[in-house]
Amino acid sequence: MQARTFALVMTSLILFFVINLIRRQKMSFKYALAWLLSTSLTLLFTIQEAWLQTISKWAGFALPSNFVFFLLLIFVILFSLLLTLHINEQNSRSETLAQAIAKLDYRLKKLEKESEKKI
Amino acid sequence: MNPKILIIIPAFNEAGAIARLLDEIQTAFPQADRIVINDGSQDLTEENALKTGAFVATLPFNLGIGGAVQTGFQVACDGNYDIAIQVDGDGQHDPLYIRDLVKPILEGKLDLCIGSRFLENPPGAFQSTFARRTGIRFFCRLLELLTGLYLTDPTSGFRATGKKLIRVFSDFYPIDFPEPEAIKIAKRHGAKIGEIPVQMRERQSGRSSIRSLATLYYMIKVTFALLIDLLKKKS
Repeated sequence: MQARTFALVMTSLILFFVINLIRRQKMSFKYALAWLLSTSLTLLFTIQEAWLQTISKWAGFALPSNFVFFLLLIFVILFSLLLTLHINEQNSRSETLAQAIAKLDYRLKKLEKESEKKI
Repeated sequence: MNPKILIIIPAFNEAGAIARLLDEIQTAFPQADRIVINDGSQDLTEENALKTGAFVATLPFNLGIGGAVQTGFQVACDGNYDIAIQVDGDGQHDPLYIRDLVKPILEGKLDLCIGSRFLENPPGAFQSTFARRTGIRFFCRLLELLTGLYLTDPTSGFRATGKKLIRVFSDFYPIDFPEPEAIKIAKRHGAKIGEIPVQMRERQSGRSSIRSLATLYYMIKVTFALLIDLLKKKS
């Protein structure tokens, strides 16, 4: 029972923290979605322990705790994959921006050179 | 009408060599425009290049050779240039060979002409280290296996590109260690690729972007990139 209460408190705290981050516009819904889903699911399983037992048994896990660890691992892997994707996207965007700045720099210098010649 | 030719010179902290190189290019091939892509240098590369009358495009931070060269291709594409020539900013590439590089493109024989150190091998000429030569040989064979095209120096960055490929490279150019992958991409776009013999000089300043510890990463990355390119659609 103590473990269940502990899980309930911790999950609720994380959920509250994520919602608060969205409210303060520190995290967009797009990136908070994975956290919202995972904490809600954990909360649901903590409240309805019987569901967790049924599903873990159905999935072939001897202990429900193993099933929870498995889910946790999958979540962490998926989330880091998404973050890698996101970093790549940001990297590619900053590269495009840098190139756009360099091209503007070139055009500006060229225009300055041409106007100097005219004067 | 004379073709519009742009010489792209990617440079990162090459203040010591850039002015001399740009003057040499101007003497050897005055009909081309020269643009230095200053890849976030922290020394006087930009100032020294501007003094010679060349164009300079300064990247706000270091993108690496691929990002810098791609910027050059984008300028060439926007400016409707017919030929783009890459010359490294460290002075390794002798501008005297630019004329030979451009010739096959002007004659319509090639879309990508690469200056090779190994096509003719005069004794005493600068030929790079044993480890690097082994790596180059590996890529020669791998590219031959993947494209059916045997090149003697696929890692050479001294090359001339025709209009068709300028557009392709302006849209996509590999970011790090781009040379062998660029050949594979060009081949995928049906380009005619060939080599002419050149002699390269010792670096006049700066450091190579491929250092000993990075060599293994370089080999793995380029091999992987070449294999991945196989999965891309033919154009």
